[in-house]
Amino acid sequence: MPKHLKDYMVIGLCGTVLLGFSLGSILLPDQETSLTERRRLAQAPECTLGTISDGSFMSKFEDYALDQFPLRDRFRSLKALVSLNVMQKKDNHDIYIADQFVSKLDYPLSDSSLLYAADVFSNIYDRYLADSGCTTYLSIIPDKNYFLAEKNGYPALDYEQLVQKLTSEMPYASYIDIFPCLDIDDYYRTDTHWKQEALGAVAIALTQQMQAPYSNNHSTVAIHTPFYGVYYGQSALSMQPDQICKIVKPCHDRCTITDLETNSQMEMYDMEKLNEADPYEMYLSGSKSLIHIENPSAQGEKQLILFRDSFGSSLAPYLTSSYQSIYLVDIRYIHPNLLGQLIDFSDSDVLFLYSSLILNNSTTLKK
Amino acid sequence: MLFSSITFLYFFLTAVILIYYIVPKPLKNTVLLAASLLFYGWGEPRYLILMAITMLQGYGFGLLIQYLKNKGKQTAAKISLAATVLFSVGILGYFKYADFFIQNWNAVTGMSIPLLRIALPIGISFYTFQILSYSVDVYRKTAPAQKNPINFATYIALFPQLIAGPIVRYCDIAKELTDREHTISKASEGTRRFIIGLSKKVLVANLLGELVNAYKESQAHSILFVWLYIIAYALHIYFDFSGYSDMAIGLGKIFGFQFCENFNYPYISSSATEFWRRWHMSLGTWFRDYVYIPLGGNRVPKWRWFLNIFIVWMTTGFWHGASWNFIVWGIFFGVLLCLEKLVLLRYLEKWKWLGHIYTAIAVLVSFVVFDAASLPDAFATIRDMFGFGTIPMTNPESFYLLRSYAVLLIFAAIAATPLLKTAAKQLAKKPVGNAILRFAEPPVLVMLLITVTAFLVDGSFNPFLYFRF
Repeated sequence: MPKHLKDYMVIGLCGTVLLGFSLGSILLPDQETSLTERRRLAQAPECTLGTISDGSFMSKFEDYALDQFPLRDRFRSLKALVSLNVMQKKDNHDIYIADQFVSKLDYPLSDSSLLYAADVFSNIYDRYLADSGCTTYLSIIPDKNYFLAEKNGYPALDYEQLVQKLTSEMPYASYIDIFPCLDIDDYYRTDTHWKQEALGAVAIALTQQMQAPYSNNHSTVAIHTPFYGVYYGQSALSMQPDQICKIVKPCHDRCTITDLETNSQMEMYDMEKLNEADPYEMYLSGSKSLIHIENPSAQGEKQLILFRDSFGSSLAPYLTSSYQSIYLVDIRYIHPNLLGQLIDFSDSDVLFLYSSLILNNSTTLKK
Repeated sequence: MLFSSITFLYFFLTAVILIYYIVPKPLKNTVLLAASLLFYGWGEPRYLILMAITMLQGYGFGLLIQYLKNKGKQTAAKISLAATVLFSVGILGYFKYADFFIQNWNAVTGMSIPLLRIALPIGISFYTFQILSYSVDVYRKTAPAQKNPINFATYIALFPQLIAGPIVRYCDIAKELTDREHTISKASEGTRRFIIGLSKKVLVANLLGELVNAYKESQAHSILFVWLYIIAYALHIYFDFSGYSDMAIGLGKIFGFQFCENFNYPYISSSATEFWRRWHMSLGTWFRDYVYIPLGGNRVPKWRWFLNIFIVWMTTGFWHGASWNFIVWGIFFGVLLCLEKLVLLRYLEKWKWLGHIYTAIAVLVSFVVFDAASLPDAFATIRDMFGFGTIPMTNPESFYLLRSYAVLLIFAAIAATPLLKTAAKQLAKKPVGNAILRFAEPPVLVMLLITVTAFLVDGSFNPFLYFRF
């Protein structure tokens, strides 16, 4: 190829890329949200003399240009592929793939985070539970890294230390070990959560320790909406979706479920959530601060107060046959000081059930 | 605005190149000046006024110095030069060094004068040095004063080299400011250089920066981790800075300018003296021509010669930042250069391998000082590097990061030497090899541009080291 032809090609090709994407950025309609990242995208900033002089227009425009760039998701995928396959990086934005599961690095163990969580729980115990005849339990849900990280050469939390530290900070709670009830196949490949249909053993372990009756009578219904979990979008890699299921117990029909945030009735499974950003929110409608499940036909007469994160949403349906009344409390969304007005704690079983992910990053818990 | 940003690449640069090539020749500098002011004002609009004042005094004093020189009024010309130098250095001193001096004054006297906490205007160290070089060049009559204020302002504000150099001397581009050639070959070469620089910055430097940050954020250090950090930092700063210089030189070519080279594979040096002939060359030669030689250079008694070296290297360090770290960093190199001139060079030249090891260790240690938050931090890291600390030899985190960044580190280490360039040159000597290179260049450049775009779109991690200069 003659040199001048090469020069023309360099300018022509590079110029086409620059001009093409410039025009694309300007002409293509702006997107409101990114489904893969589950967030709102930056919109065109207001251009006034004030926003220009204080520099806010410029900084917002940079975010806008990035968020609204044509083929953004494709470019993110290309970046992930180059990072992982060409540069042989072991993770991309801390997301890694091992044994066909996607997970996110979470290390090292944060003592301050554990102490903060324990402090939050202890405040609740001192305020509501110590003198109310409650029996208090603690259980920790291992995240996927427990099964994947160390085995595949990734740095991992010291889970033994995590359990030891938290149990020693919470001497008032009996610890229920559910680690042996789980393995990696009990989690979604593309999401952070466990699979509801795999939680039978966990439900048995919990109810046994809490001395609550338990019936294993349930059926599993597969839902045919493809489930792309939270790590799917973050990894930006092409992956097969997971299958999401729901378990149905005969007593579910007789349960009354109240969203105490809005004081309205709700369903055990909100099927409309399947078409929204996070299908896992199908379980008890996702992020709810306070839910009350009543089952007059339950085998047991006791009340359970479950302090939980999102993992608890898919576990609670298993426990409906064991307790006449279950309160699900998510103290990421409600301040514990308000609970006394809404819940009668007396003579209840109280279970603090949290994933290691929340415990090691506990700033979201309200104190 | 950063070169390595979507806003720059796909909004600013595309529009500027289009407009620049559409307008007739007499308007090209006006377009470049307007673009440069927009580029500068994008980050800090309020400092446009400061830049305008600095440029105005440089322009005015330039004309005055030439007028006085032509009239044979040497003393008045010297006073004018001193005035413009004082003004420029004063502005730089106020905005960059005021808090440093106040802090140290407070520490020495026990007083508590409040700090000014002024944000450092981007690129002030670079454009101040360009104005200084212009004034001195006019005084020395190595270049005529620029009468056209647009041309003068274009020289000072020229966005390709405004915020990260190279420090372009007026005498080097005085002719090009009024009469420069635009050819397809030059534009193609500039495009190639720009994309290579962009790739160095985004695909290598930024990723190595992540490794550096991982070290800084980690509580679990080990000796392996310290070495990983400092090797990554040394490569990071090289690819970051030389990448920016490549982009500047490439953009210069696209707009018809020929900027000086700034890096020449410094990590292959076998002495500190050689390292500084290859690292940030435009700064090194600036200090040589405008500080070292006016001080008398080496044509003075030996004690004075070493004093000159000491002054030059202390100010070189101080130019990099208002902190004792940078002063110590500069003095460290000053001491090494003196030692080399006195004793070491003859041995280093004899045993090249020893020279490479010595230079590598010296440069790595110097960058620990350069990057540390404080001098005690720097000494602690150096102690850890050589196993005199209390940290373990390795830990799982450092092993993981070593495995995760191994390919990038190896690639960066190779790319920091002339190996790839030499291989390409050898290949180009053969007709088939030359044909392959020519055929491959356009698609490879496009692939790099698209990959860089993917990395920019994906991540917001894009800090730029030299903003503080």
